[in-house]
Amino acid sequence: MNHVIIVDLAYGDSGKGSISDWVCSPGRVRFAGGRPVQAVVRFNGGAQAAHNVVTTDGRHHTFAQFGSGTFTPGVRTHLSRFMLVDPLALAAEAAHLASAGVGDALDRLTVDRDALLTTPYHRAANRARELARGVSRHGSCGVGIGETARYTLEHPGDAPRVADCAAPQTLARSLRRLRDRLADELGPLEAPPVADVCEAYRAFADRVALVDDGYLGWLLRTGPVVFEGAQGVLLDEWRGFHPYTTWSTTTFANAETLLAEAGDTALRLGVVRCYLTRHGPGPFVTEDPTLELPEPHNQHGTWQGAFRTGHFDAVALRYAVEVSGGVDAVALTHLDAAARQPLRVCRSYQVDGQPLQRIIPGPERDLGWQERLTAMLLRARPVYEDPGPDWPGLVEGALGAPVVLTSYGPTAADKRAVASALGRRTPATR
Amino acid sequence: MGSGRWSTDVYDAAARFRAATGASAFAYSDSGAARVHDTLDPHGVPVRESRDSAEHPQSLAIAVLFDVTGSMRDVPRTLQAKLPQLLGLLLRKGYVADPQIMFGAIGDATCDHAPLQIGQFESDNRMDDDLGRILLEGGGGGQKTESYELALYFMARHTVTDCFAKRGRRGYLFIIGDELAYPRVKPGEVHNVIGDELPESVPVAKLVAEVTAKWDAYYILPAGASYVGDPEVLGFWRDLLGQNVIELADTGAVCETIALTVGLGEDAISLDDGLADLGDVGSAAGQTVSRALAVIGAGRAPLEVAAAPDDLDGPSGNVRL
Repeated sequence: MNHVIIVDLAYGDSGKGSISDWVCSPGRVRFAGGRPVQAVVRFNGGAQAAHNVVTTDGRHHTFAQFGSGTFTPGVRTHLSRFMLVDPLALAAEAAHLASAGVGDALDRLTVDRDALLTTPYHRAANRARELARGVSRHGSCGVGIGETARYTLEHPGDAPRVADCAAPQTLARSLRRLRDRLADELGPLEAPPVADVCEAYRAFADRVALVDDGYLGWLLRTGPVVFEGAQGVLLDEWRGFHPYTTWSTTTFANAETLLAEAGDTALRLGVVRCYLTRHGPGPFVTEDPTLELPEPHNQHGTWQGAFRTGHFDAVALRYAVEVSGGVDAVALTHLDAAARQPLRVCRSYQVDGQPLQRIIPGPERDLGWQERLTAMLLRARPVYEDPGPDWPGLVEGALGAPVVLTSYGPTAADKRAVASALGRRTPATR
Repeated sequence: MGSGRWSTDVYDAAARFRAATGASAFAYSDSGAARVHDTLDPHGVPVRESRDSAEHPQSLAIAVLFDVTGSMRDVPRTLQAKLPQLLGLLLRKGYVADPQIMFGAIGDATCDHAPLQIGQFESDNRMDDDLGRILLEGGGGGQKTESYELALYFMARHTVTDCFAKRGRRGYLFIIGDELAYPRVKPGEVHNVIGDELPESVPVAKLVAEVTAKWDAYYILPAGASYVGDPEVLGFWRDLLGQNVIELADTGAVCETIALTVGLGEDAISLDDGLADLGDVGSAAGQTVSRALAVIGAGRAPLEVAAAPDDLDGPSGNVRL
């Protein structure tokens, strides 16, 4: 089956949503092997995702938990067990989708019962902690993702899960325990009473199909499925530049695990802009505040800090490809910007007077190594070259994988499949 | 990335989940359509086929036909809402390798716009599309009779399944309803609805014999349905299908009932295994299903239970069956 995993190779915001929308849209079925895409599966992160999709008729939605293929009728969303599910935000997102002409988003949603819940208590604790941290903030989104991950590590058996939503007594117990533990640590939390949260979660469980692990296996056999990643490889909890990372595995790994359980495989599609962006603090060697590029959907967030812009960084992106185990193909986005601004390309850094072309990956799960990389990158200076007119060629050369899709704007109509590249490496030939 | 822009207000969320009825899943019917959708129209259809394919080499046909009149209107919505769980259960622990599910709807040929609607056997999400196109009629004649005989006629003479043709295994037919069939299928109605020319009417008992030759057929009679417990309705279907009449106290458990019935029929589970599986997937339908399937479950106890009588004193989870 011709499944696709879509992963952002940089710091997020490269356009996964619009690529996912394009792959799912009718008429793109050739990309997915000639059959309509059945579903979008989310396999990391949670409601902090903000994948913007603009339809050709001008509707706009910021996908947080629903898959970015939702504008195409019939395409489902499955939230796998690796997702951190926020039922409250799902309700609001479904309501906005309804106002954008998609009335059946909840009907097309399935949620794995083992997925963790992000609750108002996690969220309140997240914000309390970030405020206490003050200026040294990490660029958290403030929606409780980190707190959910932290609590699960500390109390693995007690973490509230999606299945609990249908079991009110279990849920009330685990929410009370969660609230009390967090309040002991951080002081009283600004969050609604447990009974009211239980009531809303119960309504969620009554309304949305909660499924077990057999479901995804079936889904994968019914037709092509798109695995839509959140955030980006350079923010990965283990491979990102510690401590400026997210609490989530942002590589292909979780999607590959789900596929392997079903005995299946997928095309690994990396998404990059022809320049780089980053929300919040952390290393950004090619940052260039003089670049003036329109960013309609990304502003400076209260919780994440500044939205930063810089040049194409082949060194960092090669590192992303290397630590994520390689990519089969690349989607290159925001090429309309190349015409607006004199973009440059960085293939090498200067660090302490020495040239550096490769960021060397450390051993698995070695945060000390990652911290040293961060320190090194904060000292690194970019060496720029003129990219020339052939962006796809440049990116293919830099990342060692064919550019199969180029994007010049937000809608599916602004995307171009690179036919020759597809012919060279279609999913079917794997 | 971003900043979690969707409201997480707990009270709004509860209200929104409660308000979102899922009505849009039946967009065709809700749009005010007054006739059978072309894709579900049985007229002129030679056969509906359930076939093996490279991806689904062990296809098993499962047909689910339900009464869409009056009191039974909740059934299709329950089926729609719980379809993913039904599939999850069937595939879990391999009750069935490659289920192909067809949905259809039964009305009254004497007074309805949609006496028979028949979808395709589908292995993927398209089965959901068929459900969404079913015309839900509010009417029903009020004379305790629906045209089940037309549906039986179609299933007997207009279906082909590879599970039966290639492997000699009957598919599963579930009819969910609460009324009587007309005693004979009439040539005029067959002509109008299906397009066949019948020389004479056929008694419903003969149609049932034809159907059960290639379908393991069940009648599910839900409680809350208008004639539940009605001895005439129950007796009518018992005469035709024997113990394969399932009285169901809650239509909300219809998907679980279908899944476990198939699991039992395939000898994949005992009733206790199936009830444990329901518990695993968080279904609250266990008790209802347990009562509904007590008879069928007893007849289909797995092999190891046959040894239980040797140990009459010892505890066995299955003895009470």
